[in-house]
Amino acid sequence: MNSDTDLSGPLRPSFESMKARITLGNAVTLFAVLVLAALALATPGFLSMPAIRSLVTTVSFTGCVAIGMTFITLSGNLMSFSLGASLSAATLVFVATLGAGIWPAILAALLFCAALNALQGWIVGYFRANPIIVTMASFAIITGVATSLTGGRGLYILTNVAAGLKGNLGPVPGPFAAFAICALIAQLILSRTALGRRIVLTGTNPRAMLAMGAEPWKAVVWAYALAGLFTGVAAVLMAARYGSGDLQHGIGMEYSAIAAVLVGGTAIEGGRGSFLRTFLGALFIAVLQSVLVLRGFSTEWQRFGMGAVVLLVILLQRK
Amino acid sequence: MNAIREKTAQGQSRDPLLSMRGIGKTYGEVRALSDVSLTLAAGEIRAICGENGAGKSTLVKALTGIVAPDKGEVWLDGAQVHFAAPKDAQAHGINLVSQELSICPDLTVLDNIWLGALSLPFLHRRADLRSRAAEVLKRLGAEHIALDGLAGHLSTGERQLIEIARMLARDTRILILDEPTATLSDKEIHVLMSALKSLRAHGTSILYITHRLGEVFELCDHATVMRGGTVVADLPVAELTRDRLIELMLGRALGHMFPEHHIADGATFFAIDRLNVPGAAHNVSLSVTKGQIMCLTGQLGCGADEVIRVVAGLVSHANGRITLDDAEIPLGRPEVARRRGVRFVSGDRAEEGVFIDRPAWENLVAPRFVERGGAKLVQNRALRGEAAMLADRSTLARHRLPVRTGDLSGGNQQKLAFGRNIGDGAAKLILMIEPTRGIDVGARAEIYRLMRDFCEQGCAILMASSDFAEVLGIADVVATMFRGEIVKTYKTGHLDMTRLIADVTHPEEENA
Ligand SMILES: Nc1ncnc2c1ncn2[C@@H]1O[C@H](COP(=O)(O)OP(=O)(O)OP(=O)(O)O)[C@@H](O)[C@H]1O
Ligand SMILES: [Mg+2]
Repeated sequence: MNSDTDLSGPLRPSFESMKARITLGNAVTLFAVLVLAALALATPGFLSMPAIRSLVTTVSFTGCVAIGMTFITLSGNLMSFSLGASLSAATLVFVATLGAGIWPAILAALLFCAALNALQGWIVGYFRANPIIVTMASFAIITGVATSLTGGRGLYILTNVAAGLKGNLGPVPGPFAAFAICALIAQLILSRTALGRRIVLTGTNPRAMLAMGAEPWKAVVWAYALAGLFTGVAAVLMAARYGSGDLQHGIGMEYSAIAAVLVGGTAIEGGRGSFLRTFLGALFIAVLQSVLVLRGFSTEWQRFGMGAVVLLVILLQRK
Repeated sequence: MNAIREKTAQGQSRDPLLSMRGIGKTYGEVRALSDVSLTLAAGEIRAICGENGAGKSTLVKALTGIVAPDKGEVWLDGAQVHFAAPKDAQAHGINLVSQELSICPDLTVLDNIWLGALSLPFLHRRADLRSRAAEVLKRLGAEHIALDGLAGHLSTGERQLIEIARMLARDTRILILDEPTATLSDKEIHVLMSALKSLRAHGTSILYITHRLGEVFELCDHATVMRGGTVVADLPVAELTRDRLIELMLGRALGHMFPEHHIADGATFFAIDRLNVPGAAHNVSLSVTKGQIMCLTGQLGCGADEVIRVVAGLVSHANGRITLDDAEIPLGRPEVARRRGVRFVSGDRAEEGVFIDRPAWENLVAPRFVERGGAKLVQNRALRGEAAMLADRSTLARHRLPVRTGDLSGGNQQKLAFGRNIGDGAAKLILMIEPTRGIDVGARAEIYRLMRDFCEQGCAILMASSDFAEVLGIADVVATMFRGEIVKTYKTGHLDMTRLIADVTHPEEENA
């Protein structure tokens, strides 16, 4: 299995080793991608401008959450069940603070989301609590508190301040540009900073980190904080796009995010993966979703199709 | 089968029980084995010797169906066989004690012993299994290990014994042991040797991989010497000398194994004062001067490992006072210990030593990521240069640097765990538990030289080792330990093997 987090080894990979890397698993993945592409192109309405715009916009939201999720997976903590709830809560924070101006609101949403997740990371890392349990409990707590504070109602953006976030960057929808930039930044953090390397090493073997005099729990806190930060970006984009802060925004988000991470090929046990993979994984999921919608499947069958395909792709990646 | 046993109990049998012919295996570009052949007669113990990465483990994995060879044939009892999985080999009575431990920490010792045994019926009598397991442990001199205890609570050496016991409990015609003694101390090794000899007397054949060459001469009838994936020699042990064997393995003669001792005394550089670790060590005090290598030694469970782990900051429930270069090192704070110049080479390579999924070069420079501020950009080019330098120093071939660590041979992984701690100028004290575990003779001599060089630069080493030859050869000061207490401390030259063994086994009589 090749790992992409190191950009290249001390020796240039020769042509021979490149060939060796095109394994059966990769070939099958490629096949799945081609099948999906063919299916998409053959789907009436897929290749229309509005459909594509809507596709790349929605993929940006799950994509940013998936980037966050990747940090958690890489750090050896499987997945978080609370990123969707964090996102919802952060959209509320964003809208609520918008009165102070757009930049303070963005800052508030990002910091809030990062802190919320860093706290979970601290519980997971420092007390070695099970990440599944901690994030499930956090999901319940965040949703509960937010519902009681808002009475379950959304907050609406009544002014025009956030309109800039909905615009385009040339022909590219703004959210998608933001998503791509986030993926780049995340990859930079991962492969080019000491912190990124610490997160990956901790994901591979926390006990070896401890024996080396590093504090693995700190790397875990950072991984969660970064997860929160990128989820916060998704929250800001969504709130601006839909003109509201709402607890509905993040529902089911962690599912699509973890699916994107795994379909991309990041190892669920941690220590191996990259953001390029997550980026492609998110695209794959989004295209699949859009094909299912355009082909007129009902919601139940869309879910079934998604689940089945995710399972299949992940099975195919195992050797 | 009985006929075969009887025939060999009397002497050499003509046709071998097992023969492997022309075995080849490549991993990508790496030729792990090419055209390897060997035979094994009933009731024969054959040593497989060779440097780290020579292909010894790969060969026995190919035999037992763990890896599929690309080429070659395996013949058993005059018929060709194919083992697609270890259970096929087991069905033919071939069992492997592999180099990497495969104990389930959450199961009891008893369950671990019977784990994976094919002969177990679905419904079985537990009492029967208990008595058979207990009998096997007794043969290994490990009666003290409780059958109902969790395997996770055992030390590395005890786990190794369980691993061996697991294979002894099965019906075995051919037993394969891949470095079984790397984590054992002399006493257990001694018991294991006699257990294996008695198996041989009963007609069991054994393939035996070891880097402890003394065992080859004590135990084995034949030796197959490998180098770079091929067989370079296949001859009776009676025709070998130690030097000749080393020459065959390395392709060159080995100079001195151990460097000169450090004699000069000085002020105390590192000291432990009345250290207690509940259940593991009592009232341990010692001091080391600059330039010294101090070695704690004893049997399994003597407490030496725990003392070292306390200094590394990895034990939270200890008390006592530790000072290094006039600064106190707080207990239970590995990050502070590191900042004060302490480096730790764990004895548990897989659990605490290496990052299996990362490439080798990253393992060597991993401390750089820890020392630096998180936001600092990583200069991959510079780091790779540094990794190459560290690889040279710890005798790891440079072409292995991009390889995934889990794909390296056991000894080469150990070089990574060692090599990463000798790089920086800030190190003052290196702690080591069994630092040369699984490392071949050539690299071992090199590592001893490195240890000495490190100390010459005004630093010190505190190590735990149960390899008594190593203890006598490298240490300037030796503290013998028994049941968590230091029996006695010796300067080099004041200790010999007999005394050492007496100390770590019967200290009461010795002191009386
Ligand atoms: N799964 C694998 N993938 C790629 N290369 C491998 C794999 N397993 C072993 N190798 C390579 O095959 C060669 C032989 O390794 P092997 O483990 O057999 O050595 P060994 O003789 O047992 O060494 P040691 O004494 O260190 O245990 C090495 O170069 C090693 O890197
Ligand atoms: Mg080996």
